[in-house]
Amino acid sequence: MMAEINTSTQERATPSVSLAGLRSGEATQNEARPEAKLEIRDLNFYYGGFHALKGIDMQIPAGKVTAFIGPSGCGKSTLLRAFNRIYELYPNQRAEGEILMDGRNILSPKVDKNLLRAKVGMVFQTPTPFPMSIYDNIAFGVRLYEKLSRRQMDERVEWSLRKAALWDEVKSKLRQSGTGLSGGQQQRLCIARAIAVKPEVLLLDEPTSALDPISTGFIEELVHELKQDYTIVMVTHNMQQAARVSDYTAFMYLGQLVEFNDTDTVFTNPAKKQTEDYITGRYG
Amino acid sequence: MIDKKGFSQHISRQFNEELNQILNRVMSMGGLVERQLGDALKALAEGDKELAERVIRGDDEVNAIEVSLDDECTHILARRQPAASDLRLVLSVTKAIIDLERIGDEAERIGRMGLNLTEEQRQLGIMSDVVAMGQRVKHILHGALDAFTRMDAAQAARVAEEDVEIDKQYDQIMQRLIAAMEENRAAVRQTLNIVWAVRSLERIGDRSHNICEQVIYFVKGKDVRHTSFAEMAEEAGINPAGDA
Amino acid sequence: MTIYTRRRIINIFNLSMSFLTMAFGLFWLGWILVTLFQQGLGALDWTVFTQNTPPPGESGGLLNAIVGSLIMTALGVLIGAPLGVLAGTYLAEYGRHSRLASAVRFINDILLSAPSIIVGLFIFTVVVMAMGSFSGFAGSLALAVIALPVIVRTTENMLALVPGRLREAAAALGAPTWLVIVRISYRAARAGIVTGILLAVARISGETAPLLFTALNNQFFSADLGRPMANLPVTIFQFALSPYRDWQDLAWAGSLLITLAVLAISIVARVLVRPKGSK
Repeated sequence: MMAEINTSTQERATPSVSLAGLRSGEATQNEARPEAKLEIRDLNFYYGGFHALKGIDMQIPAGKVTAFIGPSGCGKSTLLRAFNRIYELYPNQRAEGEILMDGRNILSPKVDKNLLRAKVGMVFQTPTPFPMSIYDNIAFGVRLYEKLSRRQMDERVEWSLRKAALWDEVKSKLRQSGTGLSGGQQQRLCIARAIAVKPEVLLLDEPTSALDPISTGFIEELVHELKQDYTIVMVTHNMQQAARVSDYTAFMYLGQLVEFNDTDTVFTNPAKKQTEDYITGRYG
Repeated sequence: MIDKKGFSQHISRQFNEELNQILNRVMSMGGLVERQLGDALKALAEGDKELAERVIRGDDEVNAIEVSLDDECTHILARRQPAASDLRLVLSVTKAIIDLERIGDEAERIGRMGLNLTEEQRQLGIMSDVVAMGQRVKHILHGALDAFTRMDAAQAARVAEEDVEIDKQYDQIMQRLIAAMEENRAAVRQTLNIVWAVRSLERIGDRSHNICEQVIYFVKGKDVRHTSFAEMAEEAGINPAGDA
Repeated sequence: MTIYTRRRIINIFNLSMSFLTMAFGLFWLGWILVTLFQQGLGALDWTVFTQNTPPPGESGGLLNAIVGSLIMTALGVLIGAPLGVLAGTYLAEYGRHSRLASAVRFINDILLSAPSIIVGLFIFTVVVMAMGSFSGFAGSLALAVIALPVIVRTTENMLALVPGRLREAAAALGAPTWLVIVRISYRAARAGIVTGILLAVARISGETAPLLFTALNNQFFSADLGRPMANLPVTIFQFALSPYRDWQDLAWAGSLLITLAVLAISIVARVLVRPKGSK
């Protein structure tokens, strides 16, 4: 336990975000950080001439929930949007550097972005049900990649709705429009839609910021359930949410990764003053 | 490093005030407990029965402050969901006030022993050693509270180390008291009064040590309970090798 | 006088002025409608739908003009709608920020406000002169050119109203752009686009000027697109200016028919874009 202590003072001084499982006290879990699902190497991102992400290096652990926190405009959503290359919808946005997923650079033009998106699902800030039935909302993504029989599709729809804890609420109205659901249900529908494609990584971009506390609770519980099968990366404005839901927390500020560590450490004993000021609500 | 000023920099001014208020109240509680200990020692050494009575009554006030501080900490935890240094501050306060309350209890007990002690016993040679130990205990308690006030981990680590000396003194005095009791079996009942008082002083030393640990936890975020003094010192940042 | 009373007086003044201007505008509209119904209803009977336009001084109907108008309007929309929807799709989906799109948008705006007689003249030069005769086909083309900018504009606007996050959500599932447009954008903007087309129909069904130079008119029944074709607007124009009482009545009847058709289309359009849930 004490072997780690000498790193404490160094941690304060160096900008390193290395992730030696630093934690002292009785409950030290000396488990090594799990294998990285996404490895970001010197990632820079530009909106036209604006340099939005500056040399990000980090490893996102597989099968865990990683939360990005930071003030508005710090680049946390931008980073998330690089993981499935959704920024490519907008011609003036570009990323430089590498993001390795299982060892392969997904930013490379050789990687088909639509196949990438089958592996990296995304759920957005406001619920985005498509203007079609609940059933078709879920079938939409599946049909892009798989040719399923009627029965198989029925099973897939039920499976994903169950996984998203929505099945019981909508099983009697699968043919009704998805836009008729409540906000929290719509967001769970979007999560069901994302997991129906069977991705490996799930990106959640402030998934509860438009929801009431009860719906938020449902989604947070769902995230907890889902991390058994997926690597989850979420952006949140709600620090308590990051503290509640995530295993690892990254604090970003002005396009830079300030601190990345296990959530317990970040919320009890952050290494950087900037992180401390942010999570304790101080003006730094 | 976290300085005391940091607790006035929250965006929420009300939160600033709440944190500063619990800090101030911990200090006044500390001051009260210190006075109780001083008075109890004086009552013990000088046989001042009136002072001893006052110490015994004074403990109620210490207990009341503990309860209301505990309540304020609960309030902050529930309403503010503090994180990082704020969280550590509230947690160390909740723990430190338990120690302070127990120190208050020990001071009360010393006061009681002061009531029980006969003039004859007060003239025993060992009493000067007991008073000397009492001064040392007062010193460590003062140092611990001072470290808390200044939020100074290094000072806390140094102060905590003084507990070793107290334990040594305790052992010596106990040896002599046991010897005295073996020599004069008729005086055992009376001598036990001194034993209890010395025992209380030793406990106060331990409790002060605990407060020092809370200071280090709160300032450095490191839990140094049940570690060696060397480790504690290193965590507190007073090891010269630590400045990388 | 306190600031508050002053504000109240200004408020009352402004409110009355806007009410009066609205009443002034509605008054003329009402007058037009009343006259139209007074004159038109009297002239409207079954023969209007069963007989062709009569020679001078005789009584008859508007059958050939109604059919001609229907054919040319339908063909005009059939040509204009696909082009317009596709162009609007380009503007809203693909070329949102491109230079070409701004140019197209600018030209479309000019076309939108171009006097229809110029469109007629253009088709006259390009088609009628080249083919050597007035024709229903030329008339349809002229109507299509007029419908086109309306459809382009409404399609673009309606697609622009589809939230970008829906497209992002579909793209995030791995859907290629064309599929996102067809399955998501069109679906979300369907009512609006159809409404745009209906409004274009309403717009061209009353156009006279472009038909004068292109379809001309025809006293007889003809469904041949290669020859001059009868139509309501031009018939109304001719008959209204004539000295014959029968012709003038028919002109009123035709006007009422067009007005009713436009009214019906507008109501359908309104029902289509009505927000969901208020049914």
